[in-house]
Amino acid sequence: MRLLWLSPFARCCSRAFLQFWAGGGKARQQRCLFSGSPTSASHWSKVVSDAEKIVGYPTSFMSLRCLLSDELSNIAMQVRKLVGTKHPLLNTARGFVYDSRNNLQMRGLVVLLVSKAAGPNNKADNSLQKDMISGIYSSQRSLAEVTELIHTAFLVHRGIVNIGELTSLDGPLKDMQFGNKMAVLSGDFLLANACTGLAQLQNTKVVEIMSSAIGELVQGIYYENSNLAKENGLTDDTGISTWEEQIFLSHSALLAKSCQAAMELAKHDAGIQNMAFKYGKHMSMSHKLNVDIQPFVKENCNGTVAFDLNSAPVVLHQEIIGREAWMKQIREAQIKGSLIDYTKLQDAIKAGKGVTSAIDLCRFHGNRALEALECFPPSEARSALENIVYAVTRFS
Amino acid sequence: MALWWSRCCCSRAARLGGPWHGLGARDKHPPAARLAATSAPREAGPGRMEISYFPGESLRLSFPKLNSVFWRIVARFHHTTARTHSCGRMVSDEKYKDPFKLGRKDLKNLYEDMKKELWVSTTELKEMCEYYLDGKGKAFRPVIVVLMARACNFHHNKSEEVKASQRSVAVIAEMIHTATLVHDDVIDDANSRRGKLTVNQVWGERKAVLAGDFILSAASLALARIGNTTIVSVLTQVVEDLVRGEFLQLGSKENETERFAHYLEKTFKKTASLIANSCKAVSILACPDPKVHEIAYQYGKNVGIAFQLIDDVLDFTACSSQLGKPTSADLKLGIATGPVLFACQQFPEINAMIMRRFSLPGDVERAHEFVFQSEGVQQTTYLAQRYCHKAIQEISKLRPSPERDALIQLAEIVLSRDK
Repeated sequence: MRLLWLSPFARCCSRAFLQFWAGGGKARQQRCLFSGSPTSASHWSKVVSDAEKIVGYPTSFMSLRCLLSDELSNIAMQVRKLVGTKHPLLNTARGFVYDSRNNLQMRGLVVLLVSKAAGPNNKADNSLQKDMISGIYSSQRSLAEVTELIHTAFLVHRGIVNIGELTSLDGPLKDMQFGNKMAVLSGDFLLANACTGLAQLQNTKVVEIMSSAIGELVQGIYYENSNLAKENGLTDDTGISTWEEQIFLSHSALLAKSCQAAMELAKHDAGIQNMAFKYGKHMSMSHKLNVDIQPFVKENCNGTVAFDLNSAPVVLHQEIIGREAWMKQIREAQIKGSLIDYTKLQDAIKAGKGVTSAIDLCRFHGNRALEALECFPPSEARSALENIVYAVTRFS
Repeated sequence: MALWWSRCCCSRAARLGGPWHGLGARDKHPPAARLAATSAPREAGPGRMEISYFPGESLRLSFPKLNSVFWRIVARFHHTTARTHSCGRMVSDEKYKDPFKLGRKDLKNLYEDMKKELWVSTTELKEMCEYYLDGKGKAFRPVIVVLMARACNFHHNKSEEVKASQRSVAVIAEMIHTATLVHDDVIDDANSRRGKLTVNQVWGERKAVLAGDFILSAASLALARIGNTTIVSVLTQVVEDLVRGEFLQLGSKENETERFAHYLEKTFKKTASLIANSCKAVSILACPDPKVHEIAYQYGKNVGIAFQLIDDVLDFTACSSQLGKPTSADLKLGIATGPVLFACQQFPEINAMIMRRFSLPGDVERAHEFVFQSEGVQQTTYLAQRYCHKAIQEISKLRPSPERDALIQLAEIVLSRDK
């Protein structure tokens, strides 16, 4: 709220601050969460910047109060010591800069758009209405901020290193321990701020919804970790439905529940809350599928793209050809020991039906998201939400 | 009141006397008193930390009476530390076990209830979250919380029962505490706690941090389900304080007075805030009288700070088998606690070591030695005693009940505990 009218200035400040945060390092982010720009990057940014205009101000607002606080500047000073080490926190910190251009704040934006699309509840008393700016309650704006805080906190906590598994290649142990310390602390700091923001909303139902979202996100990241831990990157024979369950937890639950909570803040009924939840869920599922599909549809990518063996096209491919055949393909792509020739494996997957099935699945979720929007009256906010879906389901 | 207190102290001091009885420190002015008087900044508004302890009370005046008593109590610490083989010596007075017994009546299924809140589908995550819920913890916080709940309920309308919402607060307080243990152990890269390996040692840091986050989210969920926005705000303050306390621990102040205030603020945020605010929460659920809320808060705050001060003393005086964790842990982490800060007044050489966070080889050992050559341990204990005194003063304002008296006893136990 307090930052509402500061936008241009604040945005500029935040850039400067974030650059400082990153210690001047060159941004070379490979993280593909919401930052990976699906389809053509320019098309995507247009969809987002149009949407930002609708909600009244740019969304790189992620709690400047928080970023400019003594605690985080303290951490920023400390993180500088990590420059030159291999701790992942450094990359996450760099990501704050890089992603501020690539719409890290997507979740906040979607929460605001859904809030605006749903509009005020006519049955609610009028005193609430006064609190609206650009058709969005201030409590909903705070919620959007909380959503970003939670997301960022877990970006940071995802980057904790297991000290016991380090080898001499990872550099001095002390650096890694120090990095861990900073990562736990800054993640906790962001989470504590999220808790405070939630408490200030004065709505225990919302606290309940968002707490359960945090719990689900943790479980999702937990699965993500255990999938990463496998030797040779080999995955369990999970199948796409398990994949969807786990991805819901790690990539969709937070957004889905934030959208639901935004409806609760405007006192909309359970039906509307459910539709907002569905939009958040299916839109982020189709977004994740889009990101996963990119390495298989992008042209002239020099064959150097290492894709995730837990990504949707791979899981689907394995399900279609069967476990046996898949293991055979993996063995054929193995160069020596545990090294895998990803180009060879990629060609094998491209030759099968995994990629097209993934595209179908992406469109399926996109359509479910569009259906959910039908409960809202037509408006520019609703169109912006639709455009986001069109952008993430477009492959050309 | 004062009479009761000094009587109780005397009897205990006599019991604990030993060869060091009447240490002859009677005439010295412990720097604790000077510091306490100078390191008292302005109050920061309701519900916030005020470091000005013992407001409106002249330290100098009340000092002589407590002085002799204090130094005799302190003798006990010298006694146990001078003879390192005396580990495990403990005052086994049945009376001192009572408050816990009384409190645990309401906490029979505490750990089962906590486990119910920690519902997860993955067995390993569940196992990690439940690792410290083995019933071996002291459950110090939940005991205080339920006793406070009963004391306030009785004060308000002589009702005997603990409300379900109040019991939830006890469960939530212990959950928040457990979550911080898990994260603290990652931050400090600790190996053992309560006599077993830490979560990060068993499962690795990545998963340990997630387990801590999960416990916190479960606590937050349980908190929301109480359905009271005031209670949500009060306990959320704890989470914020815990993190800020951890940040305070990162830095140190150059100026001695500031450094002490910094230490006490950190102590409040890292330890006392949880106890103070959960006490406040159950008092709010008990009755609408803000005076009672303030009594509950002040009791929790003062007992909490005393508890941590004694913890800091034990880090020097107890042996590791007693604590279930390695000793001198704070020094090794570069953190200067009460005993060192007091010792620094007698041995300014420590200053440089504090500033470099005991990072040079031999610093930890030398600081340890200085602490024992100084009166750091005694002065910290004395300070803890003052906080307990204040806690007892506060809680005595409530209508007498067995639970209120148990809280008074509990404040004493905090001083005499050895693990």
